[in-house]
Amino acid sequence: MESIKIYIMLFTTSIKARMEYKVSFLFYIFAILSFYAGQFGLLFILLNRFHEIKGWSMGEMVFLYSLQAFAFGFTNLIFSQLVNFDKMIVDGEFDRVLVRPLSPLGQVIFSKFEVSTAAHLIIGFTALYFGSRYANIEWTFYKIILFPVIIMGGVMIAGGIRLMVTAVAFWTLRNRSLVHTVIFSSKEFINYPINIYNVGMQFFLTFIFPIAFINFYPAHFFLDRSGSGLLHPSLEMGTPIVGIIVITVSIFSWKAGVNHYQSTGS
Amino acid sequence: MQQNNIAIKVNGLSKNFDISESGKGFSGKLKALFHRKRKIITAVDGIDFEIKRGEFVGYVGENGAGKSTTIKMLTGILVPTSGSAEVNGIIPFKERKKNAAKIGVVFGQRTQLWWDLPVRESFDLLRVIFRVSQSDFNSQMKKLDQVLDLNSLMSMPVRKLSLGQRMRCDIAASLVHNPPVLFLDEPTIGLDVLAKESIRNFLAEINREEGTTIILTTHDMNDIEHLCKRLIILEDGKIVYDGETELLKQKFVHEKVLEVEFHDDGNVIQGIPGVTVIREQGCKKWLTFDNDNYGIGEVIGTIASRYKIKDISVNEPSVESIIRNIYNNRVTLAMPSEKSPTK
Repeated sequence: MESIKIYIMLFTTSIKARMEYKVSFLFYIFAILSFYAGQFGLLFILLNRFHEIKGWSMGEMVFLYSLQAFAFGFTNLIFSQLVNFDKMIVDGEFDRVLVRPLSPLGQVIFSKFEVSTAAHLIIGFTALYFGSRYANIEWTFYKIILFPVIIMGGVMIAGGIRLMVTAVAFWTLRNRSLVHTVIFSSKEFINYPINIYNVGMQFFLTFIFPIAFINFYPAHFFLDRSGSGLLHPSLEMGTPIVGIIVITVSIFSWKAGVNHYQSTGS
Repeated sequence: MQQNNIAIKVNGLSKNFDISESGKGFSGKLKALFHRKRKIITAVDGIDFEIKRGEFVGYVGENGAGKSTTIKMLTGILVPTSGSAEVNGIIPFKERKKNAAKIGVVFGQRTQLWWDLPVRESFDLLRVIFRVSQSDFNSQMKKLDQVLDLNSLMSMPVRKLSLGQRMRCDIAASLVHNPPVLFLDEPTIGLDVLAKESIRNFLAEINREEGTTIILTTHDMNDIEHLCKRLIILEDGKIVYDGETELLKQKFVHEKVLEVEFHDDGNVIQGIPGVTVIREQGCKKWLTFDNDNYGIGEVIGTIASRYKIKDISVNEPSVESIIRNIYNNRVTLAMPSEKSPTK
């Protein structure tokens, strides 16, 4: 419990440090706003252009998008510092992290939070509203209870993948391009129902790089759809389990990375 | 309970680095992408030592000798390839957090303070991170302020501090939790004489007053001469000397240097037994003589009787010159002279 207090203090310190540079901070806010304007544009296109893709209505696709937006929104909030992690290694800043009586991962995570996530969540809510309306989702008690569970599972999948990719830096030092490719490009794949891809791709997105569990499979439950894609319908609730597996594997790879850490010169 | 007396214990400690070499030029780099040439470098090669509580140890060696690598293994940053290390009875890389709570670390080249924030904020944060109670913190800060004069710096952003001011803050920051063991990696690098002096005084004081065990790596041999009773010298990852700093002088210095200023510069110094000229500059000449076999009075007497002397002084060899000799292999550590020179 006390650790949490310490982490929160670390986090508020990072915000104070950032606000020291006021102009840069304003530009940063501006950049975020324009990025999200683009995201809203995508949502608008989804709502207007397409009527149906492979048996998925426009409303259902917007709902699919909302699950993705929530999962990646929270993942950005929690794991944003991981994008710059290789810099911490190259600059030797990670040495400092290791000589403090706190978990290294906790320190890295809490050294920066992406406040911009608030905007991401607004998109999530907007998409959720329109998605449920156009797809006529009936919000039963179970659906309401399970929605946050599915989001949490999605965060564990997206966050776990991000952590694993980050840990590669312990071996390669620089891995920013890999991080960017995996983190930012991969989610484009699940903006659409994965049954639009061929079987190989579906297999990949289900078993190898299981981001289909973030939105595609659980969406079946919320939309009361019969199974499509590779898995049996009963696995549409697989998200939390897949999430736990991915995050566990990622924490192990992170720990292996810390033990492999070679520090830098002098 | 004998264990309690020992702050650091190192046995057969080694660290290898796996370096992948990239080829020369574009084609070489392209080749290296597919055929990675791996090279293993042994940075620390099976070292043993034991440091008792309250010792002040200098840990020196040339760049790349393995000093920092050792410190990084003792602080839990690096996992050793083989061998064992214990600090305060804790294995650093296995129990990083527990180890971190009981050591202080200063890296001269890097700050542990929050670069953009006023100094005070860093201290407040460190207090919380190291779980120091407010009252302990206050009394510790008061003590640190008395010697390091921190109060005037507290409201300044770290990035605006001079190097000397920053180093004072950094050293204080490493002591917020009053650790029993303090590691200092080049704390005086780049500092001017006055700043060095104040930091040295402070380190000597906490070692004396608090009984803090201090391990200091440095390239500044004045630091060593002023502070470290014990000296460990590292070369190519191996320990080549471990003993009293003073003893090093006695053991390896069999020559003294005479700085003589003559009345005129035409003198040719010849035929004085045991004396050789090592440097000349106008009327000034530097002579060395064999300290073991010739008395200093004898040598000066002979010179004074033959030439007109304006001034004369005897220079004690510095630890620096001795270590330089060791690096240059002019002194072979394996075979120091048997008889110890009389003092």
